[in-house]
Amino acid sequence: MKDIRHLTHVLAAFVLVTGAFLVIRSLVKPHSYGELGRYRADAVDEIKALPFRYAGKAAQPRCGACHKEQFQAKKGSSHRNIGCETCHGALAAHAEKPAGPKPRKPAESEVVAFCLRCHAKDPSKPPRFPTVDPRGHNPDTPCASCHPPHAPKL
Amino acid sequence: MRTLSRRLFLKVSASAAATLALSKLSTALAWAEGFYREPPWKRKKPYWGFGVDIEKCIGCGRCADACKTENDVPREPFFFRTWVERYAVYKDGQVDVDSPNGGIDGYPALQDPSALAKSFFVPKLCNGCENSPCVQVCPVGATFKTEDGVVLVDKEYCIGCRYCIQACPYGTRYFHPVLKVADKCSMCYHRLKRGLDTACVEVCPTGARLCGDLSDPGSGISKFRENNKVQALKVHMGTEPKLVYKGMDKEVR
Amino acid sequence: MDASLSHALHEVLGKVVGFIYPNEIELQWSILIVLYPYITGLVAGAFILASLERVFNVAAVKPTYRLALLTALAFLIVAPLPLNLHLGHPERAFNILFTPNPSSAMAMFGFVYLWYLMAVLLLEVWLDYRKDIVGWSKSDPNPVKRFLYRIGSFGVDNVSPRSLEIDDKLGRAITLIGLPSAVLLHGYVGFIFGSIKANPWWSTPLMPVIFLFSAMASGIAAVLLLYMVTSALRRRPVSMDCLDTIGKYFLTALILAFSLEMLETLQKTYEAEEHFDILSLMVEGRLYVSMVLVQVVLGALTPMALLSWALALRPSEGVRKAFYAASAVLSLIGIFAMRWNVVMGGQLFSKSLRGFTTFKIELVGREGLLAAGVVLLLPFLILAVLLYFLPPWEPEGSPAGSKD
Repeated sequence: MKDIRHLTHVLAAFVLVTGAFLVIRSLVKPHSYGELGRYRADAVDEIKALPFRYAGKAAQPRCGACHKEQFQAKKGSSHRNIGCETCHGALAAHAEKPAGPKPRKPAESEVVAFCLRCHAKDPSKPPRFPTVDPRGHNPDTPCASCHPPHAPKL
Repeated sequence: MRTLSRRLFLKVSASAAATLALSKLSTALAWAEGFYREPPWKRKKPYWGFGVDIEKCIGCGRCADACKTENDVPREPFFFRTWVERYAVYKDGQVDVDSPNGGIDGYPALQDPSALAKSFFVPKLCNGCENSPCVQVCPVGATFKTEDGVVLVDKEYCIGCRYCIQACPYGTRYFHPVLKVADKCSMCYHRLKRGLDTACVEVCPTGARLCGDLSDPGSGISKFRENNKVQALKVHMGTEPKLVYKGMDKEVR
Repeated sequence: MDASLSHALHEVLGKVVGFIYPNEIELQWSILIVLYPYITGLVAGAFILASLERVFNVAAVKPTYRLALLTALAFLIVAPLPLNLHLGHPERAFNILFTPNPSSAMAMFGFVYLWYLMAVLLLEVWLDYRKDIVGWSKSDPNPVKRFLYRIGSFGVDNVSPRSLEIDDKLGRAITLIGLPSAVLLHGYVGFIFGSIKANPWWSTPLMPVIFLFSAMASGIAAVLLLYMVTSALRRRPVSMDCLDTIGKYFLTALILAFSLEMLETLQKTYEAEEHFDILSLMVEGRLYVSMVLVQVVLGALTPMALLSWALALRPSEGVRKAFYAASAVLSLIGIFAMRWNVVMGGQLFSKSLRGFTTFKIELVGREGLLAAGVVLLLPFLILAVLLYFLPPWEPEGSPAGSKD
């Protein structure tokens, strides 16, 4: 027994260190870890609770409550399935507080480029999608003067 | 007497072992015959999936732009939860692919459109792998698959080792330069849970993207998968993506 | 966002060739992750060399036994440092130990590491040194050192023949466990890369084995060099018998590592899967110097030729020493290049298999060259401290190689 005393001391130190590790672990480990799987279950709720910026198409009738003219025009047009926010940007905050952040309206100077982002002739686009060659088609006229964006006609 | 009993013992145990082995083998074979792995959305409701119709994508990049706004993705052109690639396949067999700033600012004109065989846009995002390599390799469980099938990152718990970024075959993860954690498409989990579509789906002007509940046979995504021939990316890796594409070309990787 | 990172990434963006996924412009793993398998490999190699003496009773390599153990310990202490420096949240590093994900190769690191450090290496060093530690705790002229040795003796100064016999038996048993542990430690590092199916440059079941044998080669080379250098510093003759024997192991490890690497290359070339074109373009292009020239020609073929010459043709002692030293230096460089080519090569090509990115190494910063240099120097400092407190050589005047 005497001749293994040094080993029992080392063993005791090992047990002590392991014990300390287990104690610290139980104190530090997030309480929801492992509830649903090998992750922090609280993280799911935290991610669910993140704020959203786009109000979404479901909220469009609320847009129409104020912007009646545009809403009605768009309803029957070829742009009817396009959300307001596709062109005007994220508007959840505006819908919440109309006096607050204002929707984006492309400036006069950039409106042609803005329309062309979708409608410029491009061999990579699906063939049936309506496009136009901006150089050959009234290059100096703003698109909206013939094709009102909320109710475009070809 | 002793030898006899030993022989008997050996005989009995050998035949027992053989019987056991045979029965095991036959159950294994029977199982293999009826091999069928039930998709998780047959048992779990809801279960989220995503679909992209390449034939509808016009490469306007609104999805990539909206995603950055909705999810606070850094605006620099090195960090994307979703982006749009342009493929140009020429008649001589050459294939050019580009995605400048993820497609947010549009694309430069192709060099020689007359030599083009075909060209198309392919939006990319998290493939929602059922068997996700990123979840497999995360050392601490900071990236995980939720009960409803979405792969998420716990940004409060990620240690930032970037192993998951290496493990994703699709390049859909990046290292968030401010938060110093891995980040990726969350399928706008915060929106799904409020009954909204993902930001990219909301802004897509042509309906090229759709997300929805795979466990609901009437959902758009279920119909999309049912009525079209769809393909997923890098299926040979066994990641079982829940993101499927309609009209995908073999050049898409 | 950090302006310098943005600037660096814009610079890399200009150097992209072909198409890469936009998220691939930033290289995720830096030079620190090159150092990590390199350092771990030195640990495993040095330990395996030490174990050969203990397990197989190879008397010739006895002069390096303790030196090899201390070298392994010094590098093992530093091994997690490059990983930690590289983390986005180093303060969360302990999450790996507290909530390990069992399906993650990386999560097992903490446990393999601790097992190897605490249960194998420290214990083996301690058992081997205990008699000396007890002696020093009484005889050392410096009271501070005497106190430290007392702590090191765990408060027991019993060095009866029976207790030493028990130590020796236990030490052998631990070495027997230690060998597979060393294999596990470094094989697992290879698995971290080899198991990533997304990356065709990494994904091969041979990766752990290749890492292991190159680790053995690098560890043996390091101990060989350290033995020659410490002997020179102490103005002691080196044992040629020892050098020749280590040289044999060294050559064996090199041949095994090199053959496996070539086997893997052959297999990948012959199978020529969809990623073959991009990988061969990379080897012929961006990796040509570091892989073909440094790793293969300079770091493997040259030392193999030198060692074969020294062992087969038996030139004079002076020439053999020079050949051994040169082989050791070359293969240490070559194996560093191998780690570099694995870690960096795996990130240079796009997973779209359509293009390449490039890397930009900063001089300063947490992941810069300076930090890497410090990480690589640190083990030598620790080794110097260990050598100071636990001199591995016999006291002046006593015959070399005698223990107990």
